[in-house]
Order: sequence, then C-alpha cells, then structure tokens
Amino acid sequence: MSPSATLYNVFFKRNSVFVGTVFAGAFVFGIGFDLGVTKFYDSWNKGKQWKDIRSRYVTED
Amino acid sequence: MATFQAVKKAVTLTPSVRTLPSGVPYAPLLNLAVRAPHDTHSHGHSEPGVRSDVAPRWAGGVSRTSSGLVSKTFTSVSPSNYQQRLIHTSVAVKDAHQVPDYSAYRTNPDSNRALSYFMVGSMGVISASAAKSTVSEFLQSMAASADVLALAKVEVDLSTIPEGKNVIIKWRGKPVFIRHRTQSEIEEARSANWKTFRDPQSDEERVKKPEWLVMLGVCTHLGCVPIGEAGDYGGWFCPCHGSHYDISGRARKGPAPLNLEVPQHEFNEADAKLVIG
Repeated sequence: MSPSATLYNVFFKRNSVFVGTVFAGAFVFGIGFDLGVTKFYDSWNKGKQWKDIRSRYVTED
Repeated sequence: MATFQAVKKAVTLTPSVRTLPSGVPYAPLLNLAVRAPHDTHSHGHSEPGVRSDVAPRWAGGVSRTSSGLVSKTFTSVSPSNYQQRLIHTSVAVKDAHQVPDYSAYRTNPDSNRALSYFMVGSMGVISASAAKSTVSEFLQSMAASADVLALAKVEVDLSTIPEGKNVIIKWRGKPVFIRHRTQSEIEEARSANWKTFRDPQSDEERVKKPEWLVMLGVCTHLGCVPIGEAGDYGGWFCPCHGSHYDISGRARKGPAPLNLEVPQHEFNEADAKLVIG
C-alpha cells in the first residue's frame, strides 16, 4: 500500500478521526508556534532585553 | 269485465308504513342498537353477549341520519399496519445520462485524495489554533496586569516582630493583625473548647504556623478596628460595641457573629518573610 493510501486510511477515512487529529494537531501546533516565535524573537533582540542586561545593573545583595 | 276491474281496484291496500319521498321507510322509534335475544338458537354462539356472526365495524352497517336509515358497506379495509419504504431501496442509477465517462482518462483516481484531505486538515489545524489563541488572548486581556497583582500583595519581614507582640499593617486598604504568639498563648488557643463557640473553628484551621496569627483587623460586627491585647480573653476587643476576641481571633463575647477573617497568606521559610495576598 502506498504511503498516501495509508495516510488516507489511517487519518482521513473516518470523520471523527479526522476532526480529532485536526484538534490534537492544533494543540501541538499552537505550542510549537509559540515556542518558535519566542525563540526567534529572543535571538533577534539579543542583548536588548532586560533579561539579557539585568546582570549589568542589578547587583545581588 | 267492468265489475272485475272494480274488484281488482278494491284489493289494493294502503301501505301500513309511511314512506319518505326518497323511498326510505319512515321509522322514527327504531332502535338500531338492539340485539337478538340470547338463547342457543343454532347459529354458532354459546355465550350470551356479543354475537360472533356480527359483521365488523369497518365493514359498514346501518345508521340513522336526518334523511332516514342509511346502510353502508365497505369492501376494502383501511390499512392497520404500515411498511416503511425507504428511498434507497430503489436501485441506484450508476451512470448519469449526460455526463461522459472520463474514467479512461484518469490515471489514478486516488492519487490526489490524500493530498487534498491533508490540505483541508492543515487549514483546519491553523484555523483551530488561530481561534484558540484569539479566545485565550482576549480572556488574558481581561486579567489583572502585573502591576495590579504586585500591589495586591504585601511582604512582611517576620524577624523584626518579637515574640508576644502585635503588628498592624495595611493590606488592600484594610488593617491586618500579625501576632507573634508565645507558647502559652498557643496552648491557651488550642485548649479552648471551640465547638461551643458562636463560629466554631479550631485554632489549627486558622493558623498555618502556630506562632504566627495573621488575620484581618476588621470587626465582623460592623467593621471597626479592634484593639489588641485587650478584652476578657486576652486577645482583641472592639471598642465600638464590645465584641471580645480570643488569642486565636475567634468571637467569644459581644455582638460579633463571626471570627476575625484570616486572609490568604504564605510563609517564605528561607527569608523569614510573610506574604499576604
């Protein structure tokens, strides 16, 4: 059986499985998207955010 | 010959029953519900009562109308049970007449199906994710901001409060009593028979650490601020209407209906600090 037919039979054949996969995928995608965007933002603004320069101004007592 | 004729006319009798113009005999006092007398008169029924040879009701019968007697007879019965005939029991038409058959031109009818469904599913994933983040971001915009949350908490350094002393601090516009209780005060608070109090509450329920009593300094009667280390029970005394609270802040005497309220608080063990809120 070709991979596309396997994919169809496993995920798309039953609508309940299809919708469930979509929701589970949305959950995982949301977390991954958030993590990815945050990582990109931090690397793009490296050295500009407070958490990067905090050590220069705050001396732990 | 003539006489014969006259005799023949004379024997024609008048009818004994009046007849309506429609030809139906007129019988106003006829009882149609009457039954034959119940005796074993050899037509197949033994029990007195309903005759077995009476025609069923659906087959018609005699009825009396305004125009006289009417007898109706039906030859077919209305159906008493129904069969459902579903539309798909008919034979499906496999081929539409007008649409040409393209199957010879298609190389593989399943080739694009998985991809199409995959694209539909990906669209669903992105839409569901967008809808979820729209809702959650909107709800987060209604939550209290960080500066408001920071103001709602108060941190107290416990190492500056000696044993047996009260401290009053302000938290969300209300006074909060913090009492560093001595060992004898703890024993006094725990030995009291709290089940008989007006608002029964044990000392263990009210304090998180036995030596630290933290509670709102608002009298539960009408909201005055009680005076510390006063009253009949060595705890607090409200000067407005004379409510007495014991060393665990429980209402013991006077008009106060409830014990002094304990706010949500936590102890920071490492720094010996108390966080109220």
